Amino acid sequence: MSQKTITITIDESGNSSIDLAGFADNSCSRVFEDFRGGDRVKTERMKNSFYNAKQTEDQVRTGR
Amino acid sequence: MSKYGTLETEIKEQKYLIAALAEMGYHPEVHLDGAPLIGYEGHERPERAHVIVRRRELDSASNDIGFAKAADGRYAAQLSEYDQAIGFDQKWLNRIRQLYKEKQTIAAAKSKGYVFKGREVVKTEQGERIQLRFAVR
Repeated sequence: MSQKTITITIDESGNSSIDLAGFADNSCSRVFEDFRGGDRVKTERMKNSFYNAKQTEDQVRTGR
Repeated sequence: MSKYGTLETEIKEQKYLIAALAEMGYHPEVHLDGAPLIGYEGHERPERAHVIVRRRELDSASNDIGFAKAADGRYAAQLSEYDQAIGFDQKWLNRIRQLYKEKQTIAAAKSKGYVFKGREVVKTEQGERIQLRFAVR
């Protein structure tokens, strides 16, 4: 199982981004909130790895 | 699941604002009920603030720089036009926001049990970009 990692990048203007990787469960929303720190969310999206993992899961489930 | 998001830093926690200013070499005063800023001539200005960097720590002709807490909990900087023109400008404020966010992030991660894995600073044309990495215990 890949390690769950969190990368915070704080840009030159003091704003930041949160990149969560290796999460194969629903805990990423809680982790995202832990690191939000009361800041205003500008954008938020699931990454391709989430959809790839979900597709694999669906394929296994349907036997394809 | 994996997720990506962008955030706009809002300065709401006084202790990290003070820590950020301290890292920049200042000794900010804290006033629970706010205190007036002092102008370059030594007179009180109409503006009041809760966190104040006194002019003696700035330039010889500077006014105090204040951070006033608004009703929504956010701290807003109060800078004179003169001080903005001599370098206490948006870039200076951005550096405070950056240090604030770094300190807040590290403290929050520690308190919630995440493992600090490293800090990297990338120099860019606009300044520095800070990258912090953590892992789930």
